[in-house]
Amino acid sequence: MTNQAPVLLVEDNELNRDMLVRRLNRAGVEVIVAGDGQQALDAMVSEQPRVVLMDMNLPVLDGWTACRRAREDPRISHIPIIALTAHAMESDRLNALQAGCDDYATKPVDFPGLLIKIEKLSRA
Amino acid sequence: MTGSNHTITQSSDLLLRALVELRDTFAATQEHLPAESLEDFSRLFEGGNRLEAMLARATADIDNHDLMNIFAAIRGYAELLQEDLDAQQVQLSDSLARLLKALQSAQPGSGKSRDSGDKRVIESEPGYILAVDDLKENRELVARNLSRIGHFVVTAASGEEALRALEQSDVDVVLLDLLMPGMDGREVLRRIKEHPDWRATPVIVISGQQDMDGIIECIEAGADDYLFKPFNQVLLQARIKAGIERKRWHDREEQYRQQLERNEKFIRATFGRYLSDEIVTDILERPEGLELGGDLRRVTIMMSDIRGFTTLSEHLAPAQVVTMLNRYLGAMTDIIMAHQGTIDEFIGDAILAVFGAPQHRDDDADRAVSCALEMQAAMAQINEVNEAEGLPVIKTGIALNTGDVIAGNIGSERRSKYGFVGHAMNVTSRIEDLTAGGGILVSDSTLQSLKGDFLVGDCQELKVKGIEESIVVHQILGSAL
Repeated sequence: MTNQAPVLLVEDNELNRDMLVRRLNRAGVEVIVAGDGQQALDAMVSEQPRVVLMDMNLPVLDGWTACRRAREDPRISHIPIIALTAHAMESDRLNALQAGCDDYATKPVDFPGLLIKIEKLSRA
Repeated sequence: MTGSNHTITQSSDLLLRALVELRDTFAATQEHLPAESLEDFSRLFEGGNRLEAMLARATADIDNHDLMNIFAAIRGYAELLQEDLDAQQVQLSDSLARLLKALQSAQPGSGKSRDSGDKRVIESEPGYILAVDDLKENRELVARNLSRIGHFVVTAASGEEALRALEQSDVDVVLLDLLMPGMDGREVLRRIKEHPDWRATPVIVISGQQDMDGIIECIEAGADDYLFKPFNQVLLQARIKAGIERKRWHDREEQYRQQLERNEKFIRATFGRYLSDEIVTDILERPEGLELGGDLRRVTIMMSDIRGFTTLSEHLAPAQVVTMLNRYLGAMTDIIMAHQGTIDEFIGDAILAVFGAPQHRDDDADRAVSCALEMQAAMAQINEVNEAEGLPVIKTGIALNTGDVIAGNIGSERRSKYGFVGHAMNVTSRIEDLTAGGGILVSDSTLQSLKGDFLVGDCQELKVKGIEESIVVHQILGSAL
């Protein structure tokens, strides 16, 4: 059975964040949001989302660091993380995976593709 | 970075035109749209406004990351709207398609020019970096650049935030912007360098080329390195690496220092009761001079005891005996230590002390004789107190002998102490038997070792069991003045 906990979207750019929330909601996905890496870690602990969509360039605590910390925290290390990275930054993507992200999507995201990734990781 | 922005602005004209066209089409057809799509359109246009405002800025001021996010948002809404629109809305659909196409060609990252900057990466041990800058874009750029190569980066938007971050974690390097509202970089630097736990944390200050004076001031105030804005990211990585290495060195040094401190405490605790502070300090300063394994040393041995003490003590209460002994031994200990003698042990009322071990000095014999004279002189005051308390007057005899002994940690594994053995010890004990109350007798070898002048009285010969020749002993009457 598919885990129906919400998806956590971590994005500091509110324009992009609102857009993704609207699109995900429209696709029937319940979304909670966080604006920085630290908030993301807190929300992961308290809300136990089924998947995290995390922008890597975040204030306070960046996405790579948040990811590494999440992997070290037994309370949330099991939650899959999809890194949202800039299109041409090959190194960003590699580093996201090295930091412990389960998958990545380049910005601007291919939305149908992102939905598939979310569903796939929710079932895992 | 600047190169890629150039590409963006070139193709952005097309994009801005596509946005204007979409606005016009939207204005003409909006009454047929569902509320949800209206909301999506208004958000899309909000993104368009931001994009326009951003592109109007100087190329160098454009933050690619923000730009990319705006593009992403506009594109998201355009795609969403296309999915939701009726087949009848051909005009809007066409406009959206043109916008998406324009977005694709103007997209940051779509050209090859992006990320084409310096690709060198400085390999470094991962460190915990605190980046302090009031400008969000700068913080993010630095954080991205450094986390990408494996560092843990925390950012602070003000001096106050920086100090809080320092309190919360063990930071390896601080990257500090000088110009900030509120508590500025200089003040943060001052506080870091004044804080006992943070002082060793390397600080790299960042300022504009025009602020050379500020940089110099900070270097003088303890900053470890500096960067001028705008700085090359590879140079930043290199400086961070150097900073981390410095911090690691310091940490290791600090560990080593703490280990030494523990050793010193141990040595002081072990020897402090027998040796003067000065000798302990000497040993600590020249640890190679102290071999506890046992070695032959020429020392001057002192033995002192209270004449007729056993008989005396028979007439006193045990508590009185202890009071009297402690007063006497306490005063003698102070004098011996003041003369850098090593007290080997107390045997009842007797004191065995050695001058010249564990640390040899040229004036060992002289100090031993001066010490003996002072000990005798101190008896007057001790006896004054004794008399006042109704205790008997006591007299001591002191013997000194200079000779070779084996000094070292003597005993078993369970119990051992720094001690001395050798024939010279026995000889001293024989001389001690001859001393009269209030007197000081020294062997001929001690007299020969003296460098200073002392008043020497009668001499006598002494037969010692076990050796053929007799020993000559001399009476010491005082220091020659």
